[in-house]
Amino acid sequence: MSRTVIVTGGSRGLGLAITRALLEAGYAVATCSRHPGDDLPPLLAAYPDRLFWQQADIGVAASSQAFIDGAVQRFGAPWALINNAGIAREGILATLPLVEVDDLIQTNLTGAIQVARAALRHMLSRPGGGRIINISSIIGQRGYTGLAAYAATKAGLDGLTRALAREVGRRRITVNSVAPGYLDTEMSGTLSGGQREQIVRRTPLGRLGTADDVVPAILFLLGDGAHFITGQTLTIDGGITC
Amino acid sequence: MTDTNTMLDLITQETARILAEKGEAALPVTADTAFLDGPLPFDSLDLATLIVALEGITGKDPFRAGFRQFNTAGELAALYAAA
Ligand SMILES: NC(=O)c1ccc[n+]([C@@H]2O[C@H](COP(=O)([O-])OP(=O)(O)OC[C@H]3O[C@@H](n4cnc5c(N)ncnc54)[C@H](OP(=O)(O)O)[C@@H]3O)[C@@H](O)[C@H]2O)c1
Repeated sequence: MSRTVIVTGGSRGLGLAITRALLEAGYAVATCSRHPGDDLPPLLAAYPDRLFWQQADIGVAASSQAFIDGAVQRFGAPWALINNAGIAREGILATLPLVEVDDLIQTNLTGAIQVARAALRHMLSRPGGGRIINISSIIGQRGYTGLAAYAATKAGLDGLTRALAREVGRRRITVNSVAPGYLDTEMSGTLSGGQREQIVRRTPLGRLGTADDVVPAILFLLGDGAHFITGQTLTIDGGITC
Repeated sequence: MTDTNTMLDLITQETARILAEKGEAALPVTADTAFLDGPLPFDSLDLATLIVALEGITGKDPFRAGFRQFNTAGELAALYAAA
């Protein structure tokens, strides 16, 4: 039977690329988002036996719990969780509306912790270890003007990674962060032309990243070859932080 | 209502299952058996696994409003019986 991976936010961007790659690699995937989007329905039609989607807002505890319950009902206890769903809200902190700060923390941090908690309750009862991958960001390590609250949530995720790695290591469940640099997805659509040029100039590999640049690292961390790697943050950014 | 003895039986059964999954020999569990720092080869993750399993079976979560102190199987059974 296929190993099951739960991927939050699989309707577009990085989450969609991960979902597609996992299906191609033979995994079963349970994913969620607030809206199905345009690209997920054809994938659901192509992989009716191995792809499950449920509408969920991970920022709402009851909603993320219902998603995990649905995923477990469909495929049983998961092998892995990829905490990918996230939002970005840009603005100078002094004037960023508090409701946006709350949204960021609730979705990117509290939501990810709640999903990890709900998934772990099933993973712990499944013999044979497992994987948790938190998608953080280089912004959480280095910061960026206008992204202070976002950076805090992503640095928080890296903290979650390190603490949880210690907590569940005895069960051979590894916990790692993957920290992408600037990716060409809808999320980075608010970058101005000038900002993009500056990022490209400062990136040794000379371009913004794509979701496909990140996917191989995810496949590696999920695989058996990565069984002794835990509590780490793998940065994939074309060298901009080097 | 689940009484304390029924809960204790369930706890004994689930504890044995968790120990077996770890490849540990079954040990007798009585009301006085401490989960941690006693003869039982149980760690905090095993205890978390037990509590998740008990919630799945009984539908009860005595810790919903916050952690409540217990050390032995009997004390845990009483928490579920009262929930
Ligand atoms: N793009 C970048 O430059 C970049 C760089 C570093 C790290 N990252 C991180 O990579 C991850 C993916 O980013 P991306 O660029 O692929 O973003 P994206 O294109 O905006 O996609 C985000 C995905 O998450 C879902 N989502 C957002 N909020 C959700 C919620 N409350 N509940 C459930 N699903 C939710 C979205 O679907 P719905 O909107 O329908 O809910 C969508 O499927 C994020 O954690 C992001 O912080 C991105």
